[in-house]
Amino acid sequence: MTMVRPAPAAPVPVSPVPARRSVPGRIRIISGVTVASLALLFAALAIGTSSAREGLRVIGRDAGPQVVATAGLYLALSDMDAQVANVLVMGDAYAEQRQAALDRYDRQRAEANRTLLQAFELSGDNAAERNTVQSVLDGLGRYERLAGRALLLNEQSRHAPGPPPEEVVRTYREATDLMRMVLLPQAYNLTLESGTIVRATYDSQAVVAPLVRVAVVLAGLVALGCLLWLQLFLARRFRRVFGPALLVATVTTAAALLFGTNALAQDEDDLRTAKSAGFDSVLTLARARAISNSMQGDQSRYLLDKERADTYEHTYLDRSLAVMYTEAGNLSAYHTAVAGHSTGYLGLLGPELVGRQGEEVAGAYRKFQAADKAFRDLVGSGRTNDAVAERLGPVMTAFDAYDRALTQLAGTHQKVFERSIRSGEGALDNLWRLLPFAIGAIGVLMVAGVWPRLREYR
Amino acid sequence: MKRMLAIVLVLASVVASGCGVGGQESILDQDELVIGVRSDLPSVGFRKGDGTFEGFDVDVARYLAGKLGKDVSFLGVLAADREKVLTDGRADLVVATFTIDQDRKRRVLFAGPYHISYQDILIRPEERIANVRDLEGRRICEVAGSNAAQRVVAERGVKAQVVPFPDYNRCLAALKSKQVDAVTTNDIILAGLAARDGSGLRLANALFNEQRTGVGLARGDVPGCEAVNRAITQMYQDGTAQKLLRKWFGESWLRRAIVAVPQFEGCS
Repeated sequence: MTMVRPAPAAPVPVSPVPARRSVPGRIRIISGVTVASLALLFAALAIGTSSAREGLRVIGRDAGPQVVATAGLYLALSDMDAQVANVLVMGDAYAEQRQAALDRYDRQRAEANRTLLQAFELSGDNAAERNTVQSVLDGLGRYERLAGRALLLNEQSRHAPGPPPEEVVRTYREATDLMRMVLLPQAYNLTLESGTIVRATYDSQAVVAPLVRVAVVLAGLVALGCLLWLQLFLARRFRRVFGPALLVATVTTAAALLFGTNALAQDEDDLRTAKSAGFDSVLTLARARAISNSMQGDQSRYLLDKERADTYEHTYLDRSLAVMYTEAGNLSAYHTAVAGHSTGYLGLLGPELVGRQGEEVAGAYRKFQAADKAFRDLVGSGRTNDAVAERLGPVMTAFDAYDRALTQLAGTHQKVFERSIRSGEGALDNLWRLLPFAIGAIGVLMVAGVWPRLREYR
Repeated sequence: MKRMLAIVLVLASVVASGCGVGGQESILDQDELVIGVRSDLPSVGFRKGDGTFEGFDVDVARYLAGKLGKDVSFLGVLAADREKVLTDGRADLVVATFTIDQDRKRRVLFAGPYHISYQDILIRPEERIANVRDLEGRRICEVAGSNAAQRVVAERGVKAQVVPFPDYNRCLAALKSKQVDAVTTNDIILAGLAARDGSGLRLANALFNEQRTGVGLARGDVPGCEAVNRAITQMYQDGTAQKLLRKWFGESWLRRAIVAVPQFEGCS
């Protein structure tokens, strides 16, 4: 109670002495202070909820979907290039699979368009993001022209399965360089940018939220104190034990305070869960999927471009190390290390590979790397035909299984993410709906409690 | 009541600025950045006679500091010092042909890459080496602190004979006097060395290992790393990257059809 004493002292210089001493004057002052502290409480709650809502919106409705859209864009683009490479190594055999690969290319092209539109829409007024989307759009047209020419030249050359003639390789090289060096990095960086936005929003929210909560609690306690003070004053002056209206107003204020701090705390909790158990993993797994998809493209490119085989093998190793790190100086050492590895992974996937689903991903990855080893052994021993069959058969099957396991794991985290965002928004909605009623009710009750007393002095 | 609101707001802002974002020290909180650049690589990072620095990395460092709104001073570093100046706090950023790899990432946070380069081979004009496989049985120079020669032997499995030297000057002298047959490292380093040497040494254009050259930061400075990434994105979008590459590595770059856009490593 003593803490509120300085507050009513504020009007001293302006209010005339008799009014201050008179009972109605005192009632007015105490009521005024009470109303002001209530206003502070509800203002703090409003600031808290709107900043929490903004945090949820950015993370849940903006950056979250942007990660999904841009990761989808990357996968579609990367798969387009991988399908072209696959068709080129098939040569004049594998008629059925060739058609399937071309169909898949078309589907991925449509998917790329869809995700580009979505990414553009979600980039809002972020100029750098819009420029990047624009640049991908421009580049995609050029890529299609080059890829189309490579496919045409390839068809005309009617080569046996394995590396196509020099001219085809040269044209494809232009296409794949554009894809891998310009378009894919841009799509990937868009995904990362969403992560940046989420981290920045989350960090600033983590600073603001506790402060707002403290402000709400302080303002609430002051308001409750004022209400009690008002009642004590009235009880003493008018010899009533209690005024029911003001008592209900006090209870309503206490309820609003309790409910408000609870909702804000729950919101903080939901945001934390959405980020650390949901979003962070979704983002990491999206990146891992993107990098892994490029790895399988590198396998086909390794097969079709003899001159650059060393480069493609190296990028394959580099990406493997990024996805799952273990000390290995070269690819065959890496194959051996991964095959004998079962726990304590490092690299991008490291922290994600926990629980049953994580184990499944790790197992599928090991199988994919084992298939890669078999495939490269065939290439190394000069059995090109078998190597093509291996790439299009067991390696692809192993990759698809690995990719599926990754997708399922990401799906689990995506659900956690969506659930937490929904729960946070729900808590805010409830608070937002109830606050006007609380404000209205307390206002009416205050008037009902104070007005009759003031009228006694008319 | 207004006073109280004001006090709450002031308190809030004090706490917010005092904690910084996430409570971790960041380059974003500083007015001036000390950036480590190479002092021994012509066209990349080179200390001139008057003690100032010039080169591609130096220009990139200046651009990044400008985009972050910071003053900049340079600290000359050699390959072997790059991690150390970051961990002991002598430099805030390192822009010094610092190749990102998973092992280094355990000790250093990498923004970027700001440049994608390839490992290439520098040879005498009459030499026939065209591919990394052609180094089999040949003598290649290894400069202290650089892992480029080891990558040929260990990573690519090419049985070349590695001869150690303390720096590139002695390496080049050995190449010209036929003590070694090739020098291999980042193509831009080699291009700079060849241009400065001027005796006709040439690049084999083998382009075998992709190398991602990043900006080193102290581990944990995620906001700083993200800000650097945004600056790099701008550097590529506004054409500065292309301009600088052409300025410092002119000819060899004009021959290439496209300038690779870096795929960021990610700051976490």
